[in-house]
Parts: sequence; structure tokens; C-alpha cells
Amino acid sequence: MVFALSACGREPVYQSQSYVFGTLVDITIYGEEKNRAAELASRIQQDFQRLHQKLHAWDESSELSRINRAIAAGESVNIDSEMANILEHAGKLSAVSNDLFNPAIGGLIQQWGFQRDSFSAVEIDPDAIKALVAANPRMEDIRIERHDDGITLSSRNPAVRLDLGGYAKGYALDRAAAYLKSEQAKNALINIGGNIIALGKHGERPWHVGIQHPRKSGAIASLDLEDGWAIGTSGDYQRYFELDGTRYCHVLDPRSGYPARHLQAVTVLLPPDALAGTHSDADSKPLFITEPENRKAMAQQLGLTHYMMIDRTGNISVSAPMQKRLKWKTDAGTRIQTLP
Amino acid sequence: MTEKPGHILQASADDHRIAKLAAIAIGLHLIEAVLPSPLPGVKPGIANIVTLYVLYKFGIGTAAWVSLLRVFAGSLLLGHMLSPTFVLSLSGAIASLLVLFFAIRLPHRWFGPVSLSILAAFAHIGGQLLLVWLWLIPHAGLAYLTPLFALAALVFGIINGLVTARLLSQTDGQRQ
Amino acid sequence: MPVPASRPYRDLKRAIRPGDWLTMLAAVAVILVLFESLWLGETASKVQIRAGNQIHSTLSINQQRVVEVPGPLGITTVVIDHGKARVASDPGARQYCVKQGWLDQAGQVAMCLPNQVSVELLGSRKIHDSLNY
Repeated sequence: MVFALSACGREPVYQSQSYVFGTLVDITIYGEEKNRAAELASRIQQDFQRLHQKLHAWDESSELSRINRAIAAGESVNIDSEMANILEHAGKLSAVSNDLFNPAIGGLIQQWGFQRDSFSAVEIDPDAIKALVAANPRMEDIRIERHDDGITLSSRNPAVRLDLGGYAKGYALDRAAAYLKSEQAKNALINIGGNIIALGKHGERPWHVGIQHPRKSGAIASLDLEDGWAIGTSGDYQRYFELDGTRYCHVLDPRSGYPARHLQAVTVLLPPDALAGTHSDADSKPLFITEPENRKAMAQQLGLTHYMMIDRTGNISVSAPMQKRLKWKTDAGTRIQTLP
Repeated sequence: MTEKPGHILQASADDHRIAKLAAIAIGLHLIEAVLPSPLPGVKPGIANIVTLYVLYKFGIGTAAWVSLLRVFAGSLLLGHMLSPTFVLSLSGAIASLLVLFFAIRLPHRWFGPVSLSILAAFAHIGGQLLLVWLWLIPHAGLAYLTPLFALAALVFGIINGLVTARLLSQTDGQRQ
Repeated sequence: MPVPASRPYRDLKRAIRPGDWLTMLAAVAVILVLFESLWLGETASKVQIRAGNQIHSTLSINQQRVVEVPGPLGITTVVIDHGKARVASDPGARQYCVKQGWLDQAGQVAMCLPNQVSVELLGSRKIHDSLNY
């Protein structure tokens, strides 16, 4: 499950890898004694496993599925305080993004067939999609009440189906970072399915991460991920299927019910904050979905300063603060435009 | 046929000289072929001294003639005719002749045989590598060796250039 | 009259003209760039195949070889071919890692998530600690 990188010689780097959240999880810890690093990594992996089981959107035995069943039946359901905090915060993120980030559209995601570990092209059913959009499930529909003897959740809209696909991985990153801090482990890099948070440094130098090219193998650019910063990308290359030559990606526009089609990728970089990881996961989605002319306003609304967008033809636009951080690979070419 | 005897006499003297030089070039080519090399493909290219010398003395046309004669005759003698070794040798010779065609036009006050020798050496190895890359399978190992080839081209380019300069100054001296 | 051999320094000075120094300098620059890009650069030297939570194997990329990697869904086939590597077949439905084609630069990764197999090219030095995707 875990291995020390012998290739680095005496460098105190410890790396562990696993498959959680249906994706690759990489934990790199620098500067800790091997056994301690192994213990820390293993505790983090266990927490990830716990969150994966709890927040799984289509595993019948998950906590989230239990809540979804209750919502569909129009019943109220008891939830624990962690779930309440997650859903309340996800609700805030949804509201500030004009519901473009919308974890209540699990029904749509299922309709498109993305709620599967392994999927192929689906038959697109315009009527079913239309009905799901018309039902207008939103996080606002959920009501969370804290009583003396527990917390209950109910929804005024039975069409709400929670899917924390754009939230859980980032949340897990924040938890891992907080745990390492509480254990006085100062240097680590955690990568869950491409979402990365950095703690401290890799020895004398900052952690250095590459950003995947949306259409090629390898990186399009790279940057130093400094202490506390987190980075996340939404891309049409992550989960998609092709039908009659059209690419249908996993990021759905809740307003139309169809996959967003303006961009190949949006990368956001978040400054140190207790919720940096969560934001790096969630905040790329609204930018990915929204119309080109609204992107700047949306970034402002979300409080994003560092972001990069690659459009359908491969043109790159990047915010000025982000541009300062990026080192372009040679083949990024001259298609880079810095936003005012 | 009525040809001016003077013309015939002069031409045959040149021919004689060219034949002699080509023979020397072929000799050097053969010596180099049997000499062991620290790295496959790295050779001092001493036959290029002759090409450069001829270039300065008789111009690019004669230099091309001597150089190509060396490649063909050398391969024939070594039994490499039309083998990959021959094609590589030929591509290197053609590439360096092309570069020399332009390089000889550089102002002689500023650029001497050393420059031309370095440029020719780089063109030689460049032409060969390009051919290997396009014709044989592009191999990561080859990319790994390229900097070493280039370093060898510089070192032997300088040495061959200096030797050529020395030869030229000697024969100039003889004429004076 | 031949130049006497007792004046090697004057010979050398006369043989190397001002522009020749420029040519040598340019040649040195070219060589440095070649070393930088081809030796210290991103040319991959090893292929690391991971299966599940384990490193399945770390192999030289300069060989011709077919590696069969077992995963929960079946066998993922990785082909190494003189400086490049690719996933040739995978039991996963989406086939992203197969569609990715040849990898030839250090740091490039092909992931077959359903079958929990990943193929990463390693260079003489790591170009980044992790990849955001």
C-alpha cells in the first residue's frame, strides 16, 4: 500500500498511493521519519475511505444514499453534524455561484450515466432531461434543523438528489491538511484525483505541480504550489463519452440539463485557507459552465483571483495573478492571453 | 579536335592534384574505419581536412567531387556500398557540403578554416542524425547520445580546422 | 617556405580568426542546450507501472516489451517500445488510457482508473511532484 521512494536517495520523502473516490490518491510526506510518515498517511487514507463510503452518491449503503431515499420519499431524516456542515457549506457555495455549482442535481447526473464506476455512451433522453430540469432541484430546497436530540434534514422538493462529486474530494483535502497540521507534520502534498493541496515545502524548494494538458499527454504548464495553496481543475477530458462525434462531459449545466460545452478546462488556484481544498474542487465548476461573457463576474462573485481557462479551440486565457505563477511548457505556444 | 595545349596541360595538373587529394582522403577514410572508436559513431573525420583544403584551394565544386569520391570509393573498398553505413556517410557528406557552400562565402578576414571545419562537422553529424531519426526508428537512446556527438563535432572540428589552416599556410608559403 | 614549427603560438593566433571564436562560442552554446534538453530534460528513462496500491514494476523505457498488469477487472496491457510506452488494451469501458496513445515524456501519466492501473514515465529528475488534472 505504501512505499518510500528509493530513487530519491536519502531524501526524506515518503509516498503512499491508493484508489479512493474512484480515483487515484497520492500522499507525499516530506521530512518525517519513515514509520511516522507511514502512520500519518495511513490515517489519512482511512479517513478518505470513510468519507468515500459516507458521501458515495450511488452506492446504496452510503449515508448520502440514505438521505436521497428519504428526500425522494418526502420524509425527514436524521443526519450527523459533519453531514449537516458539509451540506450547509455546499448550499452556500451553490447560492454564491447562482446555482451553477449545484450538488442537488444527482438525478440529472444519473440520467447522463455519469453515476457509474464504469460507463459507456448512453441514449440521450431529451424528455427525461427536460423533466429533471423543470423539477428545478436546488440546495435551497433542503432544510437542516438542529434540535437538542439531533439534526434532521428534509427537502421541500422531492426531486433533490444529492451528489457531492464536486465537493467531497476537496473537503477530504482540507481534512487531511488539518490533520497533518494538528500532528505537527509540516511538509506534505496530497493529490486526490488531480485536486492538490500543499503543506510546507519539499525540502528547500516549494512543491512543484504540473497542470494536465486537456488534449495531450503531459503538462501544459507547471507552478510552485506554496504552503497552504490548493489547485483544482474541471475538464471535459476527465469523465466523458462520445456519441456521434460529440463529446459529452461530466460537468452538467443545471439550467439546460446538458453538459457544459464552452471550455476544455478551468483551473483554479486557491490561497491558504481552512477551506482552500474544498474551494479548489467546487469553484472551477461555475466558471466551466457559465457563458463566456459572464466569466469575469462569476470569478469575482466566487472571490477567485487565480484562474486559467482553455476554450474549445485550445486558446488559453489566464488571470494576471495566475499568469505570474505559471511556467508554460514549450508547446503551450502563443495562444495565451492574460486577462485584464 | 583543336584544343589549346596550355589548357590541357593546366587541367591535367589540376586533375592530377585532385586525384592525389581524393586518394589521400580515401586513405584517411579507410584508416578511420579501422581505428577503434570510444563511442559508436564518433570519429575524428580527418578526411574532412582534405575537403576543406580543396575547398580553399579549388572551390566548392572540386571539394564536392573529392568528398563524394571519397564516400563512394571508401564504401566500395570497405564493402559498405549501398548499406546503411554508406547512406549515413553520404548524408553526412552532403549536409556538410551544403553548409560549406554557404560558409565559404563568409568574410575570410573574420571566418577561417576553423569556423568552416566546426560548421561542417556539425552539419555532418546533424545530417546523419536526421537521417537516422527519419529512416531508422526514432530511438530515445539516440537523443541521449546527441549531445556527445555534438561535443565530439566541436572538438574534432577545431582540431581539423587548425590542421587545415596549417596546411594552407604551408602551401601558401611554398608558392611565395 | 614552411612556417617553422617553433612558433606554435603565432600559428594558432593566425589560424583562428575573430569570427572563429564566435563560431566556437555558438557551438558551445548549442552543445549546452543539447545537454540541458536531452540529458537533464524531460526525456523519460523509466516506466513505472502501478496496480492498485502497489508498484507493479519499474522498467527501462529503452526496450521492447509487453507487460500484462492484472487489476480488479482483468488484464491491462502496457507496451514499451524504445523510448515510449502506451496502454495497448484495458478492460475498462471508457478506454481513456488507451485513447491517450503513446507517452514519451517524463511526467506523463496514463491512468486506467476502473482497473486501478497507472503508467507513469519517470525521467532522470522529476519535473513535478504531482499532476493537477
